[in-house]
Formats: sequence, structure tokens, C-alpha cells
Amino acid sequence: MSTYDLIVVGSGPGGYVAAERAGALGKKVLLIERGYLGGVCTNWGCIPTKSLLNSAKLYHHSLDGAKHGVQAASVTFNLPDAMTWKNDTVKTLRSGIEFLMKANKVETVFGEAEFVDPHHVKVGDTVYEGSYLVVATGSSAFVPPLPGAKLEHVLTSNEILDLEEVPESLVIIGGGVIGVEFASFFSMIGTKVTVIEMMDEILPMMDAEFAKLMRRELKEVDFHLGCKVEEITKEAVFYTDAKGNKQSTEASLVLMSVGRRPNTQGMEKLGLDIDRRGIVVNDRLQTNVANIWAIGDVNGRSLLAHSASRMAEVAICNIFGSKEMRMRYNAIPWAVYGNPEAAGCGITEKEAKEQGIPVKSETVQMRSNGRFLAEQGKRASGLVKVICHQESGAILGVHLLGPYSSEIIWGASALIEAELRVQDVKEIVFPHPSVSELIKDACFALDHSL
Amino acid sequence: MAQQVVMPKQGNSVESCIIVEWNVQVGDKVAVGDVLCSAETDKSTIDVESTAEGVVLAILYEEGDDVPVMVPIVIVGEEGEKFELPKKEPSTENPKEEKQEATASENKQAEKAAAVVTAGEAQGSSPRARNLASSLGVPLSSVQPTGPKGRIIERDVASASGQPLSPVARQQALEQGVQTPQRGSGIGGRVLSSDLQEKPAIATPSRLGEVSEEIQEIPVKGVRKVTARRMMESIHSTCQLTLHAQADARALKRLRAGFKNAKSELGLNKVTINDLILFAVSRTLLEFPAFNAHFLGDKILRFGHVHLGVATDTPKGLLVPVVRNSDVLSLRQLSEETKSLVDKCKEGTIQPDELSGSTFTVSNVGAFGIEAFTPVLNVPEVAILGVGGINLKPVEDEDGDIIFVEKIGLSLTMDHQAVDGADAARFLKALMDNIASIDLLLAL
Repeated sequence: MSTYDLIVVGSGPGGYVAAERAGALGKKVLLIERGYLGGVCTNWGCIPTKSLLNSAKLYHHSLDGAKHGVQAASVTFNLPDAMTWKNDTVKTLRSGIEFLMKANKVETVFGEAEFVDPHHVKVGDTVYEGSYLVVATGSSAFVPPLPGAKLEHVLTSNEILDLEEVPESLVIIGGGVIGVEFASFFSMIGTKVTVIEMMDEILPMMDAEFAKLMRRELKEVDFHLGCKVEEITKEAVFYTDAKGNKQSTEASLVLMSVGRRPNTQGMEKLGLDIDRRGIVVNDRLQTNVANIWAIGDVNGRSLLAHSASRMAEVAICNIFGSKEMRMRYNAIPWAVYGNPEAAGCGITEKEAKEQGIPVKSETVQMRSNGRFLAEQGKRASGLVKVICHQESGAILGVHLLGPYSSEIIWGASALIEAELRVQDVKEIVFPHPSVSELIKDACFALDHSL
Repeated sequence: MAQQVVMPKQGNSVESCIIVEWNVQVGDKVAVGDVLCSAETDKSTIDVESTAEGVVLAILYEEGDDVPVMVPIVIVGEEGEKFELPKKEPSTENPKEEKQEATASENKQAEKAAAVVTAGEAQGSSPRARNLASSLGVPLSSVQPTGPKGRIIERDVASASGQPLSPVARQQALEQGVQTPQRGSGIGGRVLSSDLQEKPAIATPSRLGEVSEEIQEIPVKGVRKVTARRMMESIHSTCQLTLHAQADARALKRLRAGFKNAKSELGLNKVTINDLILFAVSRTLLEFPAFNAHFLGDKILRFGHVHLGVATDTPKGLLVPVVRNSDVLSLRQLSEETKSLVDKCKEGTIQPDELSGSTFTVSNVGAFGIEAFTPVLNVPEVAILGVGGINLKPVEDEDGDIIFVEKIGLSLTMDHQAVDGADAARFLKALMDNIASIDLLLAL
């Protein structure tokens, strides 16, 4: 029987990073993957959607180019070509991960992992023994048991990435990040999109003011909030609206994006403590079984690829590293890559209120920014909000809606991680012209003093 | 003529008092009987009154100092009057510190040679600050002191060493004067404001066993010192034996529930299970005078009345106030008296004479879910009763069926020098019976 210092199950952005980091420390590592290297992120999530969204944005901007002096005749969108670009991207990244594993001497095995006990995992007929086990099995799209949910035209974010034709109409059930990104994509390429959301607002992690603007900016998308889907048929989706009236929307395609569930099946023999969110872990990502660590979506603490990667580093540091490390969740950025983009980090004003943290905030319009105006024009909308602690001035939250948001937001993470105050941020030099300058503007709006 | 006010003597056992808070400042006018400061004795907090009239010319000790009794603490005289400072008695905790400082000055030569300490540090620095400074290579002359009397303390060295404190943490540390940890929970060990909160984050044990720790040095004084001495004395001077038993607690629970719902004018609403136990003990002891006694080596004193010591958990530590003549008090009186004494202990206003003279002690830790334990004798008492929690226990009833009955844990520690195991067993059995039929006992 082959023995390893570490067995990692799942090769998404949690699992492969864990394997890579442990391998780099000279540990003997086995990585087990049942599908493709890279997990949901590389194959069905972050990466392919970014590829498709970029294609759609190019198309959209081309159609809209005349006022910028770009005349393009007979611009069309060819979905199969966009899919080819996407598939090529995914394949390249996958082989990149393969290379990384080899470079760090990580052994990779493909197949379904069968958990025998905390030290043994079986793949096919082979049993592997490991001193430590990192569970990084991720999550799957949740399909609620609705009448009609299993019809052929009801897809999850996985299958919808293999479409060959642009659908005429699409009903998206669930207005979270996945739902909104697909709404943006399909509306840009000409599909009539309807989003049905059960809550009163889309994008729950977003500041309410921003979510409202996001809906307004997604002009072509029809939003139905506070609505409960009752049934799906071949022709339409039936739901009860906020006032209790029965409604229906015709749809040639339905995307189910109501949430994700941790992949915890088949772990009975490990004796893990598992609750509704997933495998229960402490701040160091250790489970109740001393040699088992759970990272990424499967522990349900933060369902984001970059969270998973960071968790991987924290877990590996605690297992093999020289010091103890704890996962910090207060400065994890998120981003929505639609058109427009949105991103945020830290708390919203609503969360501050719920947690009893005294805060103050300032919101500035993006059109006051040179670069934004030059590129988007004076009619375009965008917002930047900075939230700080009322007394200390520590930056607690930054929220952006507008172009480049996803590329700017890491700066907010740094500000929050470093616990910088408004008065400190005012001393930082931001490049001009750039949309990022608006963060500094918001800080001065919070405190004009020098 | 300037007069000295001394730390008053508090009974025979009190050697020193800790000054808790000064009520006067230099320059204040005081009259005889004015409270100068509050001080903590081994067992309680007292007000130190002025024995002289005039203006406070000098205050000789700081808050927190442990001052031997009969030593001058304040000089009172006429305004502007010249006076001689009395030779200051080292406060009981001081000798060690002075010795440390002496060693520190001996080391000074060496430190100077290391060019770490410069002449500027003469104002003083704590040994921990000097240690850290030399390990980090921080010249003390470059350190901004924030300690008492301009002393450089560890925190000052840490901040001068460029320890990564977030701006918010630095601001808070300066404002609140809290100690900054050597390593924080932020990026690269950066100390964040959350690391400065008094309560340390709950540390889950590390597999690596590398959790950094800071060792606190706490001087043993006040209540702790007395408890330590008395507990050791108890173990050294007696022959302790503990018997465990469980009494049927159904009547206790029934009565307690009844009292809770009783009319408030009866004054019974606040009667606790523990009050009922105290009541049962005070009555049972009358039948067993051998247990209501003091063992003094060459003689045994048996008491005519039961003076019950009630072990009380207070912020300062364990205190044992005494309910005098508890055997003649009604349940309501016993309950009220106990509550009043316990409250005084918790507030720190209990008087020394309320803390001595017990003939038997009861210690109840049932609220924490403890079933049984071995209480330590409150010498020279002959026995102490430990009371545990109430738990369901299986019992065979008259029909031979197993039923679950609520039972309360009782642990009787006795001094085998004074009484025998069988005596103790008989006493405990009688107590169990009395508790089981506490309602009948109350009716007597």
C-alpha cells in the first residue's frame, strides 16, 4: 500500500492549492480527482463564465461603439466560437494545474474517492494511506424538488455552459452571483432574460443601494423579486408574486441557480461532524477528526474560489508549517463579473447595524471620476461606497459598482486586513486617471481634514 | 506639628492591607474620622479613617501597595508645614522588586558595553522592557515611556521596535493603555485592534504545540494568601476523610417550587435549595454535637449553638461568612441572613468578625453540576459538608419497579482525630433523612 504525508480529495482551487503548497514543502502528496483538475472553478465556474462574459461584452460594446467613433457593420455573436474560446481557455488552465502538480511532485489519481477511515482512501481497487487528509470536495448546484425541476430544459450552471444555440428566452431562478452573471451574459447576446428571486433583493452580499442600481443597469433583464416558483412546465415557469398572485413567464430554457450544497456524500466512515452548511471546522480548518481538514465549499464557511485557496494555505500551514494560522473571513472580497461589474469587501451598512458596530459611510458617483467619464460617458452609472468605524475610522467595508471593480477590490482587502483608517488611506497615492481613485475620494468625503 | 496616620490593625491575623483606592489627595483638608482610603484586608475591605486633623501633606503609598499594619501611610499637618518623611517600610511585595532593581543596576555595566542601554534610561525601565530591548536591539533612549512615573515598560519597547501594530491598534493601545501582544492575528502576525481586547481569543490547542503564550506573574496576597495558608494548614494538621451520600431531593424541590409561587408577603420567594440544606444541617447538628465542634489538639470544644460557615465564591476568592446561631433561626431568617452575608462578601463590605467563629461549614457547588467532591476542613472545625447538584437516579420502589428519583449529592469531610467514620456515617444518614423529609423538619 502506498503511503503519503497528505492525501487531498478534490482538485478545485482549494484542493490543488493544498497539494501544491504541501508538495512545495517537500511532502509526499496524493491528489485525488473524480472529474477534471481545477474543479468547478476552472471547468464550470469562475473561468468559463469569465470567458463567455468577455465575448458578450466585446459584442455588446461593438454594437454600442458608434458614439465612440467605432463603426462596425453587421456585428454578430457566434455562440459556438465563444464556446470554443472558452473550452480552449479551460483546457489551457487545466494543463497549467497539471504542470503545477508535476512541478511540486504531487501524485495525481483520477477516480471517485472512497473514504475507508481517517487514514485510508480507496480509488478503484487501490487503497492509499495518508497521515493527513484534506477534504476539498466542493459543492454542487442545488436543485430544489419543484414540480418540473427535472425537465430536460431545466439546467444548472454546469450544463448551460455547453449550449450550442442562443436561447430565445431564459428564466433564471435565483438572483445570486451565478444567476446575475448568466442574466448579464444572455441578455447581452440577445436572449430575453427573466430573473425570479425569492428574496426582496438580488445579490444578498451587496449593499441594498448597489443591488438596486445593478438591476437598473441590467436594462434588458426582467426582475421579479419576492416571488416563489411553484412549478416548471415545458413552456413556462409558474410562480407566486410578492402580493400572492399566481404568475407565469414563458421560457425556452430555465437556469436553476438557487444555491449550492456541500459534497459530503460517502464520508460516513470518517466520523466527521457535518451540519447543514457542510463539514464543521474550526478557524484553523481542522475538523473534529484530528488528522482531517476540510477546505473550500465543502465546509460552507465561504463559497468562493479564493476563499478555498486561502483555506488551503491556512490548513497546510497548520499541518506542516512552522506556525499556527487562522482563517480570517472579514476581508474576503467578492466580485460579480456582469456588465457592469460589481465587487465588495468587508461589511455592508446593514451588517454593521446587525452586529452593533457604529459606522459612518460615504458614497461617491463614478461619473465624478476622470477615467470613468472618458470611457463610459456622463450618462453611465457607477458607485463607490466606503464604510468606516465611527470612532476609530478603520475601513470596514468597500463596495464598488462599475467597470474594473473586480480588479480594484483587492486593494480594499489590503486596507481592511491592515486595519488602515480613513486618515491613513488619504495618505496613499492612487494612479490617475483610474477608477480606483474614487476610494480615496470617498475617504476624503468621510473626513475632509488634513 | 505634622502627624502620621498609620494603617490600622485589623484583628490579630491581619499582617498587611492592600490600598484599594485613595479618597484624599495631597493638599486636602481632613478631619478626624474622615475616610482616607479603602484597603483590602485578607478577608474584607475596610475604610481607613484619619486619626489627625489638618491638611494632607504627603501620601506615602500608592493604590495597589500592600502595606503592613501600624505603618504610617499619610502625613497630616498644617499647610506648608515642613515635615520629615518617615523611613518608608518596604511594602511586603517590594523587597523582591528592589532586589531586582539592584541586580539590574549591577548589570548596567554589561548593558552599557552592549551599547543597548544609554545613560538616558535613568528614569527607569521594567526588567521585561530591558529584556525585550536587548533581545530586539532597541536602544532604550529611543523609547517613549508610557509606564507609571515615566518608566519604560515592555509595551513601549515593543512599539518602538516597529512591531507591526495596525494604525487602529496603535491608536487604541495608546488611548486605553492596554498591553499589546507580541504577535497578533492579522497579516504576518500584525497586531489588530481585536487582539487588544481584554479577553484573549479562545485558543484551540495546536497540533504543533506552538501556541505562543505569555506567562503572567501574579503575586499571592490578600484573600488568595489567606486561603492558601489556611488550606495547607488544614491538610497538614488534620486527618481528613470524606463520606459521600445522596439524599432524596424531591421534598426539597417541591418546597422550593412552593416557595417560589408563595405570596410575596410571606417573604419566602427567595428561599433557595441551599437555604433548606443549611436549615437541615443546623437542626441535625443539634443531635450530633460531636460535629458542631472545634478540635484543638489537646481538647475538643463542643458548641451549644450552630454557627454555620457558608463557603462563598467572590470575585476576590473564597470567603466564608458565618451565620450565627443558625439553629434558632427560622427558615426565612436563615435565608435572609445568609443572603445578606453573601451579598456583603461579594460587594467586599463584609467585616472581619463576620468571617470568623464558625463551628461547621457548608460548601455548595451544585449549581455547576458537580455530583460529589472532597471539601477541605475549615480548621479547627471537625467537619464540613459539601453539597452537589440534583440529579435523577434510578431507585427500586416498593413494587420492585425501577423509578427515577431526584437526588442531591452530599459529601461530608470529617477530622478523624476528633470523630470516627461510623459517627460520621450516622450523622450523614440523619442528615439525609432530614433532607428527604425536610417538610416534616420544618413543621417541628
